[in-house]
Amino acid sequence: MSSGHEVETNREARTIEEQRQTILELQTPVIEVWNGILTLPIVGSVDTARSQEMNEALLQKIVDTGAEIVILDITAVPVVDTAVAKHLLETVSASRLLGAEVLIVGLSARTAMTLVHLGLDLSGVTTRTTLAKGLQLAFSLLGLEVVRRRESASDRLAPDGLDMGV
Amino acid sequence: MARAPIIRIGEVLIATVQEDLNDQDAVDLQDELNQQLERTGSSGVLLDVSQLKLIDSFLGRMLRDIATGARLLGAHTVVVGIQPAVAVTLVELGLELTGVYTALNSEKGLQLLRRLMASERARYRSGNERSRIH
Repeated sequence: MSSGHEVETNREARTIEEQRQTILELQTPVIEVWNGILTLPIVGSVDTARSQEMNEALLQKIVDTGAEIVILDITAVPVVDTAVAKHLLETVSASRLLGAEVLIVGLSARTAMTLVHLGLDLSGVTTRTTLAKGLQLAFSLLGLEVVRRRESASDRLAPDGLDMGV
Repeated sequence: MARAPIIRIGEVLIATVQEDLNDQDAVDLQDELNQQLERTGSSGVLLDVSQLKLIDSFLGRMLRDIATGARLLGAHTVVVGIQPAVAVTLVELGLELTGVYTALNSEKGLQLLRRLMASERARYRSGNERSRIH
């Protein structure tokens, strides 16, 4: 005998499970931004389970693509405490064992202060404030260079024979 | 019987570690590598561990010791082919293999070795400290 209430509860449980699965999938996108450069944008807090998930996805991607640089973007991580820092360092070490160098980017002034106050040593890791700077560094590590071909970007963006009014 | 045959190609000694390597085999490998380094004067060692499904604390330490020992004999060591699961285990054990060069596969490992060997030669030629770390 099952009451309407029970059916309702089951449906809610299923919805929650589905949402959890979706969040899990959204959590760990590993993007190959350039040949040999992977980026992992981390959004939200990092706990042990999530960090393991991330590690797994990242290491597999390193093997698949043969990437030599990994950029961890922590811009959207609200708080970097001892536990989060430990997880990040584990990712750095594991990636290094596969021959990939890791850059941590997106450190805010507040995050930097927190790390210093907590006495956490990130001296073995290369850090930058923005993803752009990290990418620039990654390029130079791979011996690549970005050069401007024309004076202004708007020239290039304008299709042939179309006056952009610039 | 050696569980890790060592072959020599050019200036590089290549050792492929077999899946069932035990502690004694690892010690034997270190011995054999050091002897060959002494005899041949090779300047690079490539350790292929891609067959290993597990690297315990002993083997992890051995890898580090092999690299340190080879360095004393004038050779750089690159460990290649560490499996993702193995990397995670090593980090959890706190064995980050600091000071050991690693690469994804043999090809990348050889590239890295060549770079390391070239930068060392350049350093001795120019006589100043312009070491370039990977």
